[in-house]
Amino acid sequence: MSVSSTPLEPLGSEVLLQDGNAMVLSMGPQHPSTHGVLQIMLEIEGETVVKAEPEIGYLHTGIEKTAENLFWTQAQTVIERMDYLAPESNALCYCLAVEKLLGVEAEIPERATLIRVLVAELTRIASHCVWLGTHGIDLGALSIFFYCFDLRENILDLQEAAGGARMHPNYVRVGGVNGDLPDGFLTRLDALIEKFPGRMRELRALLQKNPIFQDRTIDVGIVSAEQAVGWALTGPALRASGVAYDVRRAFPYCGYDKYEFDVPTRKEGDAYARFLVRLDEMDEAMRIVAQVRKALRPGPTMSSNVKFAPPPKETIAISMEALIHHFKLVSEGFRVPPGDVYASVEGPRGELGYYVVSDGGNRPYRVRTRPPSLYNLQALKGMAPGNLIADLVVMIGSMDPVFGEVDR
Amino acid sequence: MEVGPGHFLLAKLDDVARWAQSSSVWPLTMGLACCAIEMMSVTAPEYDVARLGSEVFRASPRQADLMIVSGRVAQKMAPIVKRLYDQMADPKWVISMGACASSGGIFDNYAIVQGVDTIVPVDVYVPGCPPTPDGLLYAINLIQQQIREGGRGGIFARA
Amino acid sequence: MPSPQAPPMAGTAIDPTSVRPDLADAQIERVAPASLRARLEALKSEGYAMLLDIGGVDYPRRDARFDVVYHLLKLPVSSATVQEIGTPNRIRVLCAVPENVALPTVSDLWKNADWAEREIFDLFGIRFDGHPDMRRIQMPTHWEGHPLRKDYPVRGPARERAPRPDFANKGNVPAGTPPTGKSAQVLEEQNVAQDHKR
Repeated sequence: MSVSSTPLEPLGSEVLLQDGNAMVLSMGPQHPSTHGVLQIMLEIEGETVVKAEPEIGYLHTGIEKTAENLFWTQAQTVIERMDYLAPESNALCYCLAVEKLLGVEAEIPERATLIRVLVAELTRIASHCVWLGTHGIDLGALSIFFYCFDLRENILDLQEAAGGARMHPNYVRVGGVNGDLPDGFLTRLDALIEKFPGRMRELRALLQKNPIFQDRTIDVGIVSAEQAVGWALTGPALRASGVAYDVRRAFPYCGYDKYEFDVPTRKEGDAYARFLVRLDEMDEAMRIVAQVRKALRPGPTMSSNVKFAPPPKETIAISMEALIHHFKLVSEGFRVPPGDVYASVEGPRGELGYYVVSDGGNRPYRVRTRPPSLYNLQALKGMAPGNLIADLVVMIGSMDPVFGEVDR
Repeated sequence: MEVGPGHFLLAKLDDVARWAQSSSVWPLTMGLACCAIEMMSVTAPEYDVARLGSEVFRASPRQADLMIVSGRVAQKMAPIVKRLYDQMADPKWVISMGACASSGGIFDNYAIVQGVDTIVPVDVYVPGCPPTPDGLLYAINLIQQQIREGGRGGIFARA
Repeated sequence: MPSPQAPPMAGTAIDPTSVRPDLADAQIERVAPASLRARLEALKSEGYAMLLDIGGVDYPRRDARFDVVYHLLKLPVSSATVQEIGTPNRIRVLCAVPENVALPTVSDLWKNADWAEREIFDLFGIRFDGHPDMRRIQMPTHWEGHPLRKDYPVRGPARERAPRPDFANKGNVPAGTPPTGKSAQVLEEQNVAQDHKR
């Protein structure tokens, strides 16, 4: 049972037929435009794709298996590394699922919920910044990459201030969030909210009306509403095809039904429509951030139920119970009553869901991810035939896959 | 280097060559996972690696001299990393960026190669999950130092 | 490494899906493998146009070892606004599958079942009859074993650490080796320089 003795994957994939002028070309897994480790086995005639078979698994990390061997809170560290562009949305979905199983949804303090929404929307904007920058680079538009990453730095600064790390801060925890927002955070957040509209205008001015960009994305990768639902596309890809399914509206969580925001939808279903939908989503996300900012009030940021939420660090030196609970939680973790639950959030890529099974112990029995990128990417098989290879690059970019999520 | 009589600068060809090499290290786009995003941030305006000479990240291994293995190396990807390393022309250097590339990181399991140094020789290891872009900049500085001063990998190079 | 008090490889003695509290996260149904295809076809014709996901769970102590879980969502197949979609109905179909029993594929009903079923085959070993392309998707083609089964060790089979590839660099320098060559020379110069400074 060892790694294969012929290490490389077979180049002539069995599903492709070589016939006449067709050629089999392997695009990837190391490729500047595949947004990560994706291999697409292409059957091409000249520049036109006859058949495209994406091969995934080049980043398979065994996250779900590893999570089964770690305590509930430790498992969150590996789970956050699935969608690495928007780590807090993974953490949020997982925590919602665990809190449902624990039955403590009502015990999460209000300030913690507000901060969760704040962080989730900021991470959505940060993820879309990476998408926009890399999409532009794929098409040859280099400047937008620098603008987007500059905007992303502001958000990562805030994430680092609140959570302790730029990426994977493990800030959202079961029971609330890990520590309150630091001093000066709100001032910097206000500064970001203020400069954001100007930044968005710049980003739009760079690409939205650019004739080359429009030529390359309009009418490329058209997905009708029926096809989109059939392929289980979710998120901006589905909404650009006309079906306005957004988990924040359909199954509200964390108080999203209280906020005023639009769900941008388009009918064309091509790459340009997906581009516009994501840009509009960035605006809507900042709208929610502004509303959360107004609603923030002082209060606790972690549940006070010490059976699963660690007591505040200051009380450990004073209270024996706090010390004992802290010790138990760190060395043994908390136990979650048996059951299975499916919780989902609207991630930047679509509906991210976790099907969590607990057998009553201190470790997850099974964490099955519903990865939006896996299904978004699978649609490539249907979209690609008949298009040029260059269009394939546009399609991958417009689907915005993250391979940490696809391969797990 | 010494200033000779008149207006001549004398230097060893070796030193000049090393100075030129170290000032234009072009990395290969070997972005695998989360560390790749921090690698992209290194090219972004805030941390700007272009000022260190890494103006472009080449997609073709034939044109690159530094391979930054950024991210977890899965079992399926391992032969490809090795193949790309073989395709790079000498002289070449390798930075193992992040905990997963250096040692398997938090993923001590069946799917992840426990350290890319089991496949390719590494010159500089950068700890972190993911390391901040400052860490990667320091690693590139160490590579430049190695290029200028000679020596290769082992205990001498740590980010 | 967490304590070995609850070794995960033993599986669980209870059935979490039957003792679950009423969480109202979806309508839940349990179906036998023989009637699975008919039930899913019926659900599709009722309007469950989106197959959100297919997942697998391993309960090794149960007779029917695996649970294959289908998550379905009732969405319209044409343009729809947020108000028209409202709160769509979610349904979860669980199917208890014994080992070495194949399930019928649903990749003709919902196109995205293709990769989901391949992944279940790869990681659990459950085959799907009628699937156009039943081969591994996450693990390399010649991998042996199905990693997400409970009896598959997390570090890889019967080994202290994850396996090293055949072409691994066996000449890699082990820790504690004294420096040689140019590194030693430079270190010596540095030491000499420091001695001079003192």
